[in-house]
Amino acid sequence: MIFRARYRRVWGTALLSVALVQLFTGCSGSMLEKKVDSLRLEAFTDPSGLLKPEEVHLRLNLLESLEGERPNMGSTLDAVWVRVSGWQGAPRQARVILDNPTLDSIDVLVMDGARILGHHFAGAAYGKQKDLIPTFNLPLNQNHELWFRVRSTKPLVLPFSLTQIDRVESMREKRDLALATYTGIVLAILIYNSFLAFSTGQRAYFSYIFVVLTVGLVQWCFNGYDRLIWGDIPWMRQNGLTMMGASSGLAALMFAREFLEVRRYTPRWNRLIQGLLLVYGCAMVAAVFNRPLIAYNLVNLGALSAPAMLVLSLISWRKGNSSALWFFVAWLIFLVAVTMQALRDFGVLASTPLTALFLPLGTVFEMLLLSFALGDRINLLKRSSEAANAKALSASLENERIVKEQNAELEDRVQQRTEALAKANGELSGALGELQGAQDQLIQTEKLASLGQMTAGIAHELNNPINYVQSNATSLHRDIEELIEIVDGYADAMSAMESGAPNAQALVERASARARQLDWDFLKEESRQLVAGILEGADRTAKIVVGLRVFGRMDGDQPVQASLRELLESSITVLGDRARTKAQIDVDLEADLPLLWCQSGKLSQVFMNIIVNAIQATETRWPEATKRQVSVGLSLEENAVHGEAMVVRVRDNGTGMDEETRQRVFDPFYTTKDVGKGTGLGLSIVKGILDDHGAVVEVESALGEGTTFLVLFPLGTQVKPSDSVNQTES
Amino acid sequence: MTDDIIRVLYLDDEEPNLFSFKAAFRRDFEIHTCQEPHEAVRMLDDQEFHVVLSDQRMPRISGVEFFELIMPDHPDVSRVLVTGYADTDAVVDAINKGQVYRFVSKPWNEEELRSVIKSGYDLNRSRVSNALEGQQVLSALDGFVQEVDRLAGELAAGGSQALPAIGEGLEGLRARMVGERVRYGHWVQQQNEQNQQ
Repeated sequence: MIFRARYRRVWGTALLSVALVQLFTGCSGSMLEKKVDSLRLEAFTDPSGLLKPEEVHLRLNLLESLEGERPNMGSTLDAVWVRVSGWQGAPRQARVILDNPTLDSIDVLVMDGARILGHHFAGAAYGKQKDLIPTFNLPLNQNHELWFRVRSTKPLVLPFSLTQIDRVESMREKRDLALATYTGIVLAILIYNSFLAFSTGQRAYFSYIFVVLTVGLVQWCFNGYDRLIWGDIPWMRQNGLTMMGASSGLAALMFAREFLEVRRYTPRWNRLIQGLLLVYGCAMVAAVFNRPLIAYNLVNLGALSAPAMLVLSLISWRKGNSSALWFFVAWLIFLVAVTMQALRDFGVLASTPLTALFLPLGTVFEMLLLSFALGDRINLLKRSSEAANAKALSASLENERIVKEQNAELEDRVQQRTEALAKANGELSGALGELQGAQDQLIQTEKLASLGQMTAGIAHELNNPINYVQSNATSLHRDIEELIEIVDGYADAMSAMESGAPNAQALVERASARARQLDWDFLKEESRQLVAGILEGADRTAKIVVGLRVFGRMDGDQPVQASLRELLESSITVLGDRARTKAQIDVDLEADLPLLWCQSGKLSQVFMNIIVNAIQATETRWPEATKRQVSVGLSLEENAVHGEAMVVRVRDNGTGMDEETRQRVFDPFYTTKDVGKGTGLGLSIVKGILDDHGAVVEVESALGEGTTFLVLFPLGTQVKPSDSVNQTES
Repeated sequence: MTDDIIRVLYLDDEEPNLFSFKAAFRRDFEIHTCQEPHEAVRMLDDQEFHVVLSDQRMPRISGVEFFELIMPDHPDVSRVLVTGYADTDAVVDAINKGQVYRFVSKPWNEEELRSVIKSGYDLNRSRVSNALEGQQVLSALDGFVQEVDRLAGELAAGGSQALPAIGEGLEGLRARMVGERVRYGHWVQQQNEQNQQ
């Protein structure tokens, strides 16, 4: 596609050029017909340029005949005097034309010997528009001489011709048309590329625009049309061509530097380009300092840049700058055109309208080709950028594909994991269910165990008072029998004395003896004591039964209003035996504290558990029971965090715990006891029960010093039972 | 021997129990009570007791531990364990090791406890009498050995002239041995009769 487009463009260019050639040759062809070859030219130079017309006839001996259609006198500061003859016999409408608009000044003199009969001025230096084709009338008298005094800093090419006046006009029109066409082409190229320059923002385009502008202006200058632009500025009239030539050289070099990427491909050539730029710069400076000839020659020297660019572009192309080939061709065409022009100027080539076309056509082609070259370069950049884009696109597509694949794989894996997790979750739920079942069972076991402990304690506690109540009752029975016997003996003696029976005295003595024998005083004392023992035993039994009432609701979840003091007392009572036999227990319970809504049985279980743990801790540490100390306290305190609270404090001087144990003490199944000795559930159940009661439990402990369990029942956050029916319980 | 006064020591940390015990059994036995184990040890050293009773659960020391403590110095005294609630394992262990003669649970049955004390006394007596009898038999045997040695010495020194004296000596020895045999036979018979009771 790209290639086809390129060739299509080339074809288009070819067709355009054919059309252009036809156009130019068309308008030039008419000029050719009217050319008059019969003019004879003789010239001499006046190096001083000061020779006056009156003196000319004295120098006739210097006259040399000029040959050729376009006699070339070269670049010189001299004034050249040309005697034109051969016009004699021409019609009245005939005119002499010196068709070189670049000539600075043309003085036309009609002389009769030393006498000046007519004087006309023309040339670039005068900037007159009608002088674009300098046209001169023929002398009226055929004996008069027609002299031209010509000066120019540009090459003195003198294409004289004799033409009919009406032809001059048409010539002018045709030339205008040709230049307008040329200008149109240049403008089209200029506008089009300006648009490209601004849309692409490429620096090469801007320098290219400069090239087109200057080259176009140089063509204007060659044809003298530049006076249309700066006809009012004398300096530019004289130096316009030089300035434009230098500018175009500068532009071309700058463009070449940009386009061929000299710094990148041929860095060493940059020096040469700088040198050439300097040459053109010097030319401009020379022109400014009114050294037009030096300026012109410097511009000519700068023309060396043309072959240099040619070589440079080839080298650049060889080094991989593919666009350089376009540049080479364009520059080659331009060079050929310039060479043709030079050959024409020096008379090597015939001065035909066709050869006159070489330069403008060459420049047009150069411009077009350079434009194409730029386009190609832009395309190349575009292609490489497109290639990069395509590469990036394919990379991103590949990435997308990989990402998609990975996503699919990930989804697959997620799916698998989800399934595995769901399965594991199911298994875990099952295991959790089983564990919870096991835990429930263990909690139940723990409850039964503490119930068993309690039963054992209560049995022992009850058996002692029952023992002495029962035993005392038996003993008392016996004592009373003996006391009755003594009393009966005395009673018999009394009645015998009253009835005056003879054996009364004997009966009294027998009764006294019996009383002495049975130890009457001792019996009285013993009986009192036995009764006291029975009363005490009964009292103790009653107390234990009160305690039992609490434990009777061991499993009951009914909330009741209970006194913490009573709960603690009954717990200690139930544990009493164990507590007394194993450690010294100090109890300090504050009275008259508010009642607490609680599950009393569960709370008693809590206190028993904590106290038993405390006792066990002291047992582990002290072999001697006398040193084992446990204190149980109850008080109303102001707590910083929980406000006013009833605080149960159980302190022991046992082994104490390290930090790890202290932190895990409420964890289920955590135990420091030997395997089989404890379930590790006691304190976790304690924690659960206390949480249910809105109570806070804190443990302070230090290894080797002992442990303090603090149970806080904040008054503000007491858990009230939701079921009001239960309140009748207490 | 049952005619003798039976001396009983009862150790319990609860005073009402001690009083009940004394009231119940003061007519049958000579009762000494004590609340402190160390005091009980001192009383055992001071005078002879036939039966010692102790509560199992006491502060500081258990009944079994107390018995273990007094065993070496007073091996013959009968030891009876009284307890409110059976720590079955400890009690069974103590009985099996011979530290405890009987085990009685509270509340006690007075008659049962009385007979336990009596049989404990019997056991004590029999242990003591066994020991005495053993001593007596041993000293008799020692006497026989001395007599045999003496006769053998005479025979070696006197030769055939000493024979008549040795013959007399042997007669005497035989009579003593028969006597001892009869006495021991009576003792064994007596023991058997007692055991049958």
